[in-house]
Amino acid sequence: MALTEARPLALPSGEEDTIERPGGVFARPTASRGWRSWVTTVDHKKIGIMYGATALAFLMIGGLEALLIRLQLWAPRGTLLSADLYNQVYTMHGTTMVFLVVMPIGACFANYLMPLQIGARDVAFPRINAFSYWCYLFGGVFLNTSWLLGGGADGGWFNYAPNNGVIFSPSHGIDFWNLGLIITGIASLTGAVNLIVTVLNMRAPGMTLMKMPVFTWMTLVTQFLLLFAIPVLTAAQVLLMMDRLFDANFFNVAKGANPLLWQHLFWVFGHPEVYLMILPAFGLVSEMLPVFSRKPIFGYPFIVFSGVAIGFMGFGVWAHHMFVSGIGPISVTTFSLTTMFIAVPTGVKILNWTATMWGGKLRFTSPLLFSIGLVTMFTIGGLSGVTHAIAPADSQQTDTYYIVAHFHYVLFGGAFFGFVGAFYFYWPKAFGYMLNETLGKTNFWMMLLGFNLTFAPMHILGLQGMSRRVYTYDAGYGFELWNKVATIGAFILATSVLLFVFNIIYSKVKAKSLPPVGADPWDARTIEWMTPSPTPEYNYDPIPTVTRVDDFWYRKYGETKDGKLVRIAATDDVVQQRSDGKGIHLPSPSYWPIVAALGLPLVAYGLIFSLWLCLIGGIITVAGIYGWALEPPDDPDAAHEDHGPGGHTSDDGTAVEETTEALPEAEAEKEAETVG
Amino acid sequence: MPRRHSRFVRIFGTIVFAVVTVLFAALIVNAFMNGGKPLTTLVPKGPSAQSIQNLVLPVFAIAGVVFVGVMGAVVFISWKFRETDEDDPEEFPEQVHGRTVLEIGWTILPALILAGVAVGTVVTLLELNKKDPEAIQVEVTGQQWWWQYKYDLNGDGNFDGAEDITTATEMVIPAGRPIEVTTTSNDVIHSFWIPGLNGKKDAVPGLHSPLKLEADDPGVFRGQCTEYCGLSHANMRMLVRALPSEEYDAWVKNQLKGHEAQPSGELAKEGRKTWESLCAQCHVIKGINDAKIKDNPPPLVSGVAPDLTHLMTRGTFAGSIFNLYADVQSTSPNSNGDQLGTDPTDVAAAGNPGAALTGGKVDEATVNRTALEAWLRNPPAQKPMYAQGGRGMPNLGLTEVQIDQLVAFLTTLN
Repeated sequence: MALTEARPLALPSGEEDTIERPGGVFARPTASRGWRSWVTTVDHKKIGIMYGATALAFLMIGGLEALLIRLQLWAPRGTLLSADLYNQVYTMHGTTMVFLVVMPIGACFANYLMPLQIGARDVAFPRINAFSYWCYLFGGVFLNTSWLLGGGADGGWFNYAPNNGVIFSPSHGIDFWNLGLIITGIASLTGAVNLIVTVLNMRAPGMTLMKMPVFTWMTLVTQFLLLFAIPVLTAAQVLLMMDRLFDANFFNVAKGANPLLWQHLFWVFGHPEVYLMILPAFGLVSEMLPVFSRKPIFGYPFIVFSGVAIGFMGFGVWAHHMFVSGIGPISVTTFSLTTMFIAVPTGVKILNWTATMWGGKLRFTSPLLFSIGLVTMFTIGGLSGVTHAIAPADSQQTDTYYIVAHFHYVLFGGAFFGFVGAFYFYWPKAFGYMLNETLGKTNFWMMLLGFNLTFAPMHILGLQGMSRRVYTYDAGYGFELWNKVATIGAFILATSVLLFVFNIIYSKVKAKSLPPVGADPWDARTIEWMTPSPTPEYNYDPIPTVTRVDDFWYRKYGETKDGKLVRIAATDDVVQQRSDGKGIHLPSPSYWPIVAALGLPLVAYGLIFSLWLCLIGGIITVAGIYGWALEPPDDPDAAHEDHGPGGHTSDDGTAVEETTEALPEAEAEKEAETVG
Repeated sequence: MPRRHSRFVRIFGTIVFAVVTVLFAALIVNAFMNGGKPLTTLVPKGPSAQSIQNLVLPVFAIAGVVFVGVMGAVVFISWKFRETDEDDPEEFPEQVHGRTVLEIGWTILPALILAGVAVGTVVTLLELNKKDPEAIQVEVTGQQWWWQYKYDLNGDGNFDGAEDITTATEMVIPAGRPIEVTTTSNDVIHSFWIPGLNGKKDAVPGLHSPLKLEADDPGVFRGQCTEYCGLSHANMRMLVRALPSEEYDAWVKNQLKGHEAQPSGELAKEGRKTWESLCAQCHVIKGINDAKIKDNPPPLVSGVAPDLTHLMTRGTFAGSIFNLYADVQSTSPNSNGDQLGTDPTDVAAAGNPGAALTGGKVDEATVNRTALEAWLRNPPAQKPMYAQGGRGMPNLGLTEVQIDQLVAFLTTLN
């Protein structure tokens, strides 16, 4: 019995192949419903949903940590947490929110949405996509098991050397941090390669780069940032791993190391990281604002190129995290100037969004409210960012609560508001029912209130001298009042997040008595809204041909010379109807990605506790890769024998639009082979 | 598509909008209220802090204008261009795709504003980094979790000569004279920050980074370590005393002395014996064990514990988190509305050594015995430390008698 499917090369004679199929537990998975279908899926939509669900789960953990921090700081000399525990909690809060919440929500949208926006059937490497997700999940779970195995990391999310050494942090917390993030780094890196290839190669016919939706553009920029930034972090982490586990001396000052090496490596990753967290939200807002302003995005090429410019400039500003590290006045001046000017493309985006709304007809739905929330809250974060781009000012502000206020305005007020808005916007597309609007708007106002009560006072706390990362403060410094306000705000904020979760359940229940939501509930602009809701597994049947930006909109409406809009077709006539999907070749589900990923946390546990576990983990991963390599990406039986009468379309972009004629069989076969 | 807000959302949204507006107004007003805020960055008390302030205030003003402009624009647009019930849903606004002139304008305008700010930034940076050959050289060394200060008084580039001073926890400077601080560290990275006098500078092991300090007038200035440095990062504070010139000279003269005679009083004599048998392994008192400890360095990661030769000249101890004297003085750069508490755990107001500062007699009545005894009884309970890993002071299990002896001895160290 074979363990993997062996398939000889197609014979030129066209003779029937004899395919030896694996049996038993090695049989190719076929489930399309139930938990099995999720474990073995390679469908970008299911993977995107899993990214989102997992990120929301981690959000609950990170949020709980945030509440513990706020409770500890409620009053001077808080006693809820010990110094040691507080240091672990704040470290894990930052790490969780950055690596396990905000980045994965970006990945959630990139996975679910981007292939739809470019008219693809799936990403370029569907099994790698699944592998990326499992690495993220296992890395995140591994990281959090540190709580049960001796305590979390206590070095801060930035984890500066030499405080991250064994002498100064003898528990295994930092090892968990280090190895866990190496695993999630694999997820990010493989995901980046996958999505870049997808955007560059799998766009629908007619969709040139400058006809791509803005979110797809921002995803492309984000993935390039990941591609170049993550390896730097991983390199630093491998050095740290060598130091901590094998007594190397990369960061040992006594042996001549310069501890600034870690800072340079970390921030060469860490600053692009900031942009790769915010750019997906910028993209999403650029999708939502035009829909609810009922106008095209203002200055599409400027929005796109300012995003690209941010991506490039993001690699040239890292040392602004090190203005007071002692890098010398020339470096400080240089990075101060580069940092100031990154405000220009960011400002261009803000102004373009404002101009998009100007003169529009604004429909105040939840997604629009959250989008406006992003524009305004991010503006505050951007402005405080400019004040500490100025190095002398930063020498007063850095490592105070002013910075904490700044980056929460960027990452929560910016990225997270955009994400929540986009959840409301794309929910019907993904799940086939709308989230309740009254709850949604209440959600927005409550989040805005809680967010500002929590983080706005931190500006003043910082300017009046409250240091970051302190588990305690004394009475008499004037910190009492605003810390109390911030703590109250944090609980309102947490309630607003729970309200969102409640809305998901409530709306799901209510949806049963409502008519099904159509393909295009918002009167939207981009082609993903042509697919039925929820999107069928094959996405498009047939693949649309794109002629301009906002292609779907211009299938519904025409523009006269003086800028007037007239309806040219009923929405129902231009959206796609659900077909049986017969004859469409899709990559088949596979066990191997999860198997390959499963070995990695075992190797990591092994490095910490017993090298024998490394061997077991290594064998599992190698077995996973072996099975993966020998398994053809699509099951020849899956769609092949069901070719309907004339229902065969290619899954490749070169197909002629709206054709019902089957391509020559052999060619379609060939295209199918390239998936994988 | 839902078009209307429900009544509840309307009211709730209006309330939130009002609360947030009031919050921002209150915060802006609060930024001008720096009385009783010892660590505030907004009240400069020295030339370096002042030049930072001169640069940052206009930037805050510009940022404020942009903030009001963008918020105002968004609120105005949201109100003006909202869809109402009377609007025909099939009627669309004018489809504007962009205006290149506008785009170029709002690319160039911020760039020009920033270019102006950039000029100011570079000028200020040059000013802050100017070296003053007359400056007093002080090496500031961070370690878990306290600061050591070494003064190179004769200017020979060596901080450990016979004419130099080594002290801990509090830094004493003459008002009106520039100090050239060099920060470094004995273990992990710390950051030295006296917000009233200048911005901060990290103390990085293996690096020596310069920072200018100067106080315009005599006063007491608080600081807080701002680079996360492990367990007791929150408990690593600084205190700078700026003295009039003559008083500073008297302080220097006293600091140069070692411990001379046996203390008077039986209790203090016993205390010295206890000190020599237990404390002298790590701590130094010049004249008692300074020679010995050079050959047998303390079993600490940082290799050094606070010098206690002139302990009582300081108003605070243990990383400046406890007051050594119950008599306190304000540390706030803007003392309007200061409340000088009498609670000895409140160290926002710093202990006042009085005449002992310059070597005068310690006023026994003002010594904060409660805090000192509690510290000797169990240091890690007072301040989290990893004594078992050579980082911080262990619980020595002293008896109450030993504690009394030690306090009697320590309070003679002026």
